[in-house]
Amino acid sequence: MAGNFWQSSHHQQWLLDKQDLIRERQHDLSILTEDEYQKIFIFFASVIQTLGEQLKLRQQVIATATVYFKRFYARNSLKCIDPLLLAPTCIFLASKVEEFGVISNSRLLTTCQQVIKNKFSYAYTQEFPYRTNHILECEFYLLENLDCCLIVYQPYRPLLQLVQDLGNEDQLFTLAWRIVNDSLRTDVCLLYPPYQIAIGCIQFACVILQKDHKVWFAELNVDIEKIQEICRYIINLYELWKQYDEKKEIQGLLAKMPKPKPAPQR
Amino acid sequence: MENHCGTRAVSIMLKLAANKLALCSFSARLELNNTTKTMQKYEKLEKIGEGTYGTVFKAKNRESHEIVALKRVRLDDDDEGVPSSALREICLLKELKHKNIVRLYDVLHSDKKLTLVFEHCDQDLKKYFDSLNGDIDLDVVKSFMFQLLRGLAFCHSHNVLHRDLKPQNLLINKNGELKLADFGLARAFGIPVKCYSAEVVTLWYRPPDVLFGAKLYTTSIDMWSAGCIFAELANAGRPLFPGSDVDDQLRRIFKLLGTPTEDTWSGMTQLPDYKPFPLYQLSMSFTQVVPKLGSRGRDLLQRLLVCNPMQRLSADDAMAHRYFSDLNPAIKNDRC
Ligand SMILES: Nc1ncnc2c1ncn2[C@@H]1O[C@H](COP(=O)(O)OP(=O)(O)OP(=O)(O)O)[C@@H](O)[C@H]1O
Ligand SMILES: [Mg+2]
Repeated sequence: MAGNFWQSSHHQQWLLDKQDLIRERQHDLSILTEDEYQKIFIFFASVIQTLGEQLKLRQQVIATATVYFKRFYARNSLKCIDPLLLAPTCIFLASKVEEFGVISNSRLLTTCQQVIKNKFSYAYTQEFPYRTNHILECEFYLLENLDCCLIVYQPYRPLLQLVQDLGNEDQLFTLAWRIVNDSLRTDVCLLYPPYQIAIGCIQFACVILQKDHKVWFAELNVDIEKIQEICRYIINLYELWKQYDEKKEIQGLLAKMPKPKPAPQR
Repeated sequence: MENHCGTRAVSIMLKLAANKLALCSFSARLELNNTTKTMQKYEKLEKIGEGTYGTVFKAKNRESHEIVALKRVRLDDDDEGVPSSALREICLLKELKHKNIVRLYDVLHSDKKLTLVFEHCDQDLKKYFDSLNGDIDLDVVKSFMFQLLRGLAFCHSHNVLHRDLKPQNLLINKNGELKLADFGLARAFGIPVKCYSAEVVTLWYRPPDVLFGAKLYTTSIDMWSAGCIFAELANAGRPLFPGSDVDDQLRRIFKLLGTPTEDTWSGMTQLPDYKPFPLYQLSMSFTQVVPKLGSRGRDLLQRLLVCNPMQRLSADDAMAHRYFSDLNPAIKNDRC
């Protein structure tokens, strides 16, 4: 449904306030530092991305699944549901909503087992512990916590239009697209409308490619301050990435992550 | 939602429930808790409808005393989880907030059932017709028709096709409001729905292009149904084309409107299930079909009931038709 963003649940219910986010995370941030918290979300965004690619899903579906994941934890502590269970559940729900067709549960589970074993063994030494009934039950919680708002607008379409308007530079488009994907590892999808994220990512790509499109940006009728904020989030992400070795640190982070007490008996 | 159940409170309850979930207690106990939650929140009053999906109940929110309609969706495919069809209805209704579209407040779940909580309306249009005894106020006809078109225009502007318009799926209130209900469902996916009830899916509101097997659905499908409902309204509930099967349905349509030809409808003979029909001539005049409707109303009806889908009026254009020029301004300006 390519409806109207301004009247959508995305705009009306799911553009959150930064202060709210901070408040909701208080519990988790009493256990984890902000950097550690973000590193955990970076990790699970990669898990969702890898699962999605393995299942041959379109990027749009993967992005929607990632937004579901982030929305859930924007309102809940990490201890509410193991993110390792929520991640595939988000994929499962997103593929139905995006009309990609249902992924059979057995295929989803097999893929989870393979991906965890082959690509994320540096994080998990044991095999993927969940079964169909867990995913189905978790789907309900996800649905309820999303308040049934399932249609998510993504920056990809505005990105395409904007780059066309800029004269269709392939290199710029490819880079900006990647930056949009990376931006899913920040909070921007919870805070800003997708077209602003698209503009922020284009601006970032222009800086990297040393392209001067100042006039074009000036003519866009857009809140420059917001675009700067989005760029800040992305810079911070890349800064964090630079001095972070996921393979070394993630096990420690996952161990430190808030969990229900007593610890789950897998 | 805002005035309904307090989303925050719900999410706190969920946190508690979700904690249990993380503890891997996917036991009967957890499921029982969910059921209790549903039962506690709403007091079931009476059954008000039976549909393809399951049963619809009238219920009362124990806290706010608000009356709602609960629609039970059976979940029986263990592999699919929440059926795509139900998801479709849920996510479309979440986006379509309009006074002529029934509101979805909440979704609850228990063991193998999903319950959609809707705003309650007094009755559906079918039941209203049954109570009329063959007589209807022409101002009511105009008002209902306008509201139907306004709801449709809103859906169409959001690229949503209803596809299943019929009097049973239009809800009305005693204060004269009309709302579209029963949304999208599996039809939006093009997957046939399993038929649970004995009720046969009706053909009466289907346009000739769809009856001929057209796969490319557009907004024109809803405009045909709106035309059929308009005539039915004007005749106080007598259906316009009560066909018994696809052939009979098409024959009834062509007998009234004249059999279309490639000249009036180019591409018709290429449709997947096309078959030739006798060349009926325009037999009856619309004055006989809808004797009580004035000339403007008849003109609008004739522009909706066009066999060639390309030539059917759009919802926006229909709302601007001069039939509505003397519509009570209170209804016309009642924007959402
Ligand atoms: N919100 C509501 N308020 C009052 N009555 C309702 C409401 N929702 C549904 N009903 C009643 O229940 C009936 C069935 O509901 P609905 O059409 O949504 O179910 P369904 O299973 O999708 O049916 P179908 O697909 O067979 O048309 C309606 O025709 C109407 O009479
Ligand atoms: Mg119905």
